[in-house]
Amino acid sequence: MESTSEALFGISEQRLTKMRRYRKLKDQVAARLISVGGISVIFAICLIFFYLLYEVLPLFLPASIKQTHSLDQYTLSQPYFSVVEEQGQVGLAVTAAAGPVFYRVADGQTLLTPELPTATAITAFAKDSPGSRAYALGLADGSVLIQKPEYKIQYGDSPLDKTVVPRIEYPLGTTPIQVLNGEPITQLAYRESDDLVRIVAADSAGHLFLKDFAKTESFLSDEVQLEEQTTLKLPQPSGALTNILLSLDQRWLFLVEAKGKVEVLDLRNPVAEMRVHIANVVENGTEITVSDFLLGGFSLLIGDSKGRISQWFITQDETNQTVLTNVRTLTLKDGVAVTALQTEHRRKGFIAGDAQGYIGLFNTTADRRVARKQVADSPIQWIAMAPRGDLAIVNSEQGGPVSYHLDNEHPDVSWSSLWSKVWYERYDEPSFTWQSSSASNDFEPKFSLMPLTFGTLKAAFYAMLVAVPLAICGAIYTAYFMAPALRTKVKPAIELMEAMPTVILGFLAGLWLAPLIEANLAGVTAILLLTPLFCLIAAFSWSRLPRDISTRVPDGYVPVILIPVVVLAGVISMWLSEPMELAFFGGSMRDWVSNDLGIDFDQRNSVVVGLAMGFAVIPTIFSITEDAIFAVPKGLTQGSLALGATPWQTLVRVVLPTASPGIFSALMIGLGRAVGETMIVLMATGNTPIMDMNIFEGMRTLSANIAVEMPEAEVNSTHFRILFLSGLVLFIFTFLVNTTAEVVRQRLREKYGSL
Amino acid sequence: MSEPKIKVKTGESMTAATPPKDLRPGGKTVDMGHEPLSLDNEEICLEVKDFQLYYGEKRALHNINMKIPKKRVTAFIGPSGCGKSTLLRSFNRMNDLVDICRTEGEIIFDDKNIFHRTVDVTDLRRRVGMVFQKPNPFPKSVYENVAYGLRIQGINKKRVLDDRVEWALKGAALWDEVKDRLEDNALGLSGGQQQRLVIARTIAVEPEVLLLDEPCSALDPISTLKVEELINDLKNRYTIVIVTHNMQQAARVSDYTAFMYLGDMVEYKDTDTLFTNPEEKQTEDYITGRYG
Repeated sequence: MESTSEALFGISEQRLTKMRRYRKLKDQVAARLISVGGISVIFAICLIFFYLLYEVLPLFLPASIKQTHSLDQYTLSQPYFSVVEEQGQVGLAVTAAAGPVFYRVADGQTLLTPELPTATAITAFAKDSPGSRAYALGLADGSVLIQKPEYKIQYGDSPLDKTVVPRIEYPLGTTPIQVLNGEPITQLAYRESDDLVRIVAADSAGHLFLKDFAKTESFLSDEVQLEEQTTLKLPQPSGALTNILLSLDQRWLFLVEAKGKVEVLDLRNPVAEMRVHIANVVENGTEITVSDFLLGGFSLLIGDSKGRISQWFITQDETNQTVLTNVRTLTLKDGVAVTALQTEHRRKGFIAGDAQGYIGLFNTTADRRVARKQVADSPIQWIAMAPRGDLAIVNSEQGGPVSYHLDNEHPDVSWSSLWSKVWYERYDEPSFTWQSSSASNDFEPKFSLMPLTFGTLKAAFYAMLVAVPLAICGAIYTAYFMAPALRTKVKPAIELMEAMPTVILGFLAGLWLAPLIEANLAGVTAILLLTPLFCLIAAFSWSRLPRDISTRVPDGYVPVILIPVVVLAGVISMWLSEPMELAFFGGSMRDWVSNDLGIDFDQRNSVVVGLAMGFAVIPTIFSITEDAIFAVPKGLTQGSLALGATPWQTLVRVVLPTASPGIFSALMIGLGRAVGETMIVLMATGNTPIMDMNIFEGMRTLSANIAVEMPEAEVNSTHFRILFLSGLVLFIFTFLVNTTAEVVRQRLREKYGSL
Repeated sequence: MSEPKIKVKTGESMTAATPPKDLRPGGKTVDMGHEPLSLDNEEICLEVKDFQLYYGEKRALHNINMKIPKKRVTAFIGPSGCGKSTLLRSFNRMNDLVDICRTEGEIIFDDKNIFHRTVDVTDLRRRVGMVFQKPNPFPKSVYENVAYGLRIQGINKKRVLDDRVEWALKGAALWDEVKDRLEDNALGLSGGQQQRLVIARTIAVEPEVLLLDEPCSALDPISTLKVEELINDLKNRYTIVIVTHNMQQAARVSDYTAFMYLGDMVEYKDTDTLFTNPEEKQTEDYITGRYG
């Protein structure tokens, strides 16, 4: 090539330099833009990951106990019971000497000592559920007085300037209710429902009496009329009582005895048969130190002198006997006696203190001690807790009452509550359960991710079961055997399936396919059997046709002949559906499956999901597999055929191994799609979070669960964050699947590479 | 199982289908007036009779008539697109794989027309092996590459395979280079080694004919030399047909040479005569480098 200093190709050097510079600039700009694009993608994914993590992390942050101040001016003696109201400003202590006394949380100064309507000494105490706030005082003359603290908030100049004004109310009137005849009450239990007040009291000899009062409220005033209904003398307890506890449903009476036994009385039985179980709730040589109900009035918490707090509730054993069962045992400090116990008002948790001055926060669902701190050197005497669970006043023998701030947002989440079987209240055995909300306030939320993860994998499994054979075999045929002219039509057609919005697929699956399958179960089963059979018969007859006829179909267009065959198989199956159901299944195969085979049948089941989601996954797998097989160098195919291999041998021994990296990617991407798919499973699965491999039952997947529950989850609640956690689980799962796919693909490519 | 993407129509029934177009410049047919090659002293392996081949409407081979002698090396030379590879691929019906390809006329191998419907094409291809322009070892080990042809015949006995693999690799003069790396991936071999491996793979199934389609065009000169030496060794056992662009190579390795031009067999002579005393002007022009 000749060039002069002035011109090349007749263009001046100056202009050429300019063009070169422009070309270089374009190249650099393109390189930068591509880098920025790539980095942005990675950044966006990291951002999603970190946002999920940011929402989830508070679930796993440890709880903390922080001292705020001590209540220097507190002067009251040991109370039966102490509690703080909602705003955290006023505390209530119920003592034997003075009855109820309100004090200021800020410094412990007494605010109000309400005058009692009677001068009789207080000898016993019992409280109702934390929601009702009411409690009962047992008096020395055998009568019972029901009280309830009420708080009124007075606002000052600014909304933040609140003053809480306490007072005592008498919901059942100021006249004490006579329970024992003049004898002092030593132990008391009391529960009030909408129409029944039940009181159980023990006298000094240990005799137990039950009294029921029917409650009627007058329409015009709030006045309550009590009408005595029953008085029973209950079976004599076997030992000295330390506490008696009546369950919220007023059915079970637990008699806690000093010797480490709990007697269970079923108050629905006649007196002679009331005692249903006596349980040893502590080890030999250990004593019961504290006992109370967990929130909900069903589970019993027993603290002992060795630092253990155990949860017990009523279950039915194998012989249908009622037994008090130890569900779990938590430890505050091993070997140190538990001296104080206060349950939370809104969660299945409690706070406990021991003889060495330790306090601990616990949650029973999560089966764990959330936090522990030594706050004093002397035994903890009592603990008062605010309803929100964020404030506790802890009184130690020498340190006096001290207020603590509790930072304990998500105590009910632990590895075991998410992934292991949990023994929930009212269940006969531990189970995996997802039940995030209920109408009741003292509900135990069940946040097991296992049923959801299982549902996700089950849905993906059935979808892959439908999609993989069809997509891979279809791709093999299309790429390897089909006439190129037909291939150019088939491939885009299948890829177009991918453009179908999944919400429409889900809609069709849930509202059209599911009822159709349910109504024509025999026909649908017949389709599955007849279609392959018809195809085989068609193929066989085709091979037997005289050559003159068979050559009329252009080569590679033979599969088109199968279209009427498949349609025919479908029509015949559906036409036979009703006669078959009548002939073999007594009119309905669906009933036959559920009644005769004993298999549960849901209308929205795995068959529907498998078909609908399989339909959605087929194009992905097909397209990538087809490309991979088609990309196998023709030289390899020809080399194999030239050695005398049949096309089938060439396919199996050369083409498929060489295309295996691509096929593997296709499967993994398909699986990722099936796992993350939301709309189809949302509409076609029935969303029942059960763990069952039964093909005729539905499931709930992680993704559908998020879609269903996110709109109703309270922002930043445990439920809300757990939904984010399930999103994170999904993210990690997809990430792992894709990473595995990529690693395996790289290794396969190394093996079959440089082609 | 049908062949992938076949569209073969055997001769007889298709004769009247499309009138062949003569696509050569000027539309003249070449006068085949020169003396036909006498092969009276040779045993005949393949005989091509009035063979025509079409790609769709286009006639790629015009009325070829020739005989390939047994246990000799026959070379096809000619400019690109003259049909020499097409003719070579017809000998083991690799053209079947081309969708729009159809043939007329006969190729007789072992007293049978290879296009007859009773001929088992897989058996034909075992007996008429083929080596391609670009080395195409399978993405398997060296051993499995050579054993492939045997395995597809159903031979799976380790001892038999071991023997055959060693024999074939020795036959392809590759044994000494790969005997310590039989389990390595064949794709790790050099281009020349790969091509000899492909030859070993082909001779492992004991073919009678070896078709070599420009076997050295992707190789460096030293590898080329080795393959040429190999061809010399192999011709005692096999009938070899080689297509080459390299006239020196044709002159070095072949006993007979055919010159093809635009789908015609222009001249077919023993190699010495063709290169020293070509009868046709076109042949002379080509071997003296006027075109091609």
